Amino acid sequence: MRRKVFSTIIGCFLAIAVVVGNGLATNDTLHDSIYNPGHLKPVDSSLNVAVGEPAPDFSLPSIAGRKITLSQYRGKKKVVLSFVPAAWTPVCSDQWPGYNISRKYFDDHNAILIGITVDNIPTLHAWVRQMGSLWFDVLSDFWPHGRVADAYGVLRSDGTAERALFFIDTKGIIRDIVVSDINVRPPLETVVAKLAAMP
Amino acid sequence: MRFIVLHLVLVASFFPSLIVPLVQAAEKAASSKPLPDIVLEIPENPRHKEYLGLAGKNGTDFSIRDIDADILVIELFSMYCPYCQKEAPAVNELYARMREISKNGPVVKIIGLGVANSQFEIDHFRDTYKIAFPLFADEDKKMFKALAGEGTPTFIGCRLKDGERPVIVLRQNGGFASSATFLQELIDKGGAHQ
Repeated sequence: MRRKVFSTIIGCFLAIAVVVGNGLATNDTLHDSIYNPGHLKPVDSSLNVAVGEPAPDFSLPSIAGRKITLSQYRGKKKVVLSFVPAAWTPVCSDQWPGYNISRKYFDDHNAILIGITVDNIPTLHAWVRQMGSLWFDVLSDFWPHGRVADAYGVLRSDGTAERALFFIDTKGIIRDIVVSDINVRPPLETVVAKLAAMP
Repeated sequence: MRFIVLHLVLVASFFPSLIVPLVQAAEKAASSKPLPDIVLEIPENPRHKEYLGLAGKNGTDFSIRDIDADILVIELFSMYCPYCQKEAPAVNELYARMREISKNGPVVKIIGLGVANSQFEIDHFRDTYKIAFPLFADEDKKMFKALAGEGTPTFIGCRLKDGERPVIVLRQNGGFASSATFLQELIDKGGAHQ
């Protein structure tokens, strides 16, 4: 009998712990998982391309399991390449969720967005899943490490990429380049203005 | 004896899930702190101006303490924050409940501060989620820092009573489970019982 009473008390205690625990637990898993590297050197590479030049072609695997080739959009869509430094870091983890609710600006200008980092596919998969579901492709420039970032001149000396945007027209020509301070997100209006300015 | 030890081990294994939320709850119920004096620009939108009860010229400064409300909620958000995006419909629901309850009860209002967001970005957030209450850009995070913000979304409930120093009565880090419960909690903590 005493065992029964004791078990009941313990059972109630555990039930309360689980209910209270689940009810009040924070939902901030993405924020909690972010690694803060502190303030970094704003720009740590030199561009290998310039406005008016053809954008270097590439094929990279996407987290959706496809291979995306830049030239597949030639004659069809304008392309915005968004390089971000690394998964699970502070500014990067916000930038693409912002673009995720900004699709209309890309659609309005017959453009698509492609996100690229030098992380591997499993890391990108886990990171992007935390953001929800993105409407644009996310590509891994992991191996050979940072080859595409290097071709554009946005591979930093520590193996991460710059926070950079390349605006490419339907002929495959680079029309604008924005290499931001790595510690700062480029404002959305900059992206929208550059999209509108592309011929 | 083994039976008791087994049960004690079980309890110990669940201890963190009980203790951590209790600490969080304690933070949420932290005692009232003075509301820092936040200065914003009077919005150009006449509906927002009327909602806040402001009479000055558009574009001139006003203190957050001048807002015509018994209880004010300040939402710290970012257009870029996926949790703020997800929470936006629930916040709209909270705003609708506030409008309703303010007709006959305490006047409860809400404003949003877009942390590290430009005016363009908060306008885009407003348009995307059809937000009817006033949003202000906190581009340099000055207000976020003054309010000791730690992340987004954060909801700060303040009591604004005539003749009394405005105080923070509630701080909710992260989303709320139910707009009705959250509103009731605000009213209770704001000392404005119906």
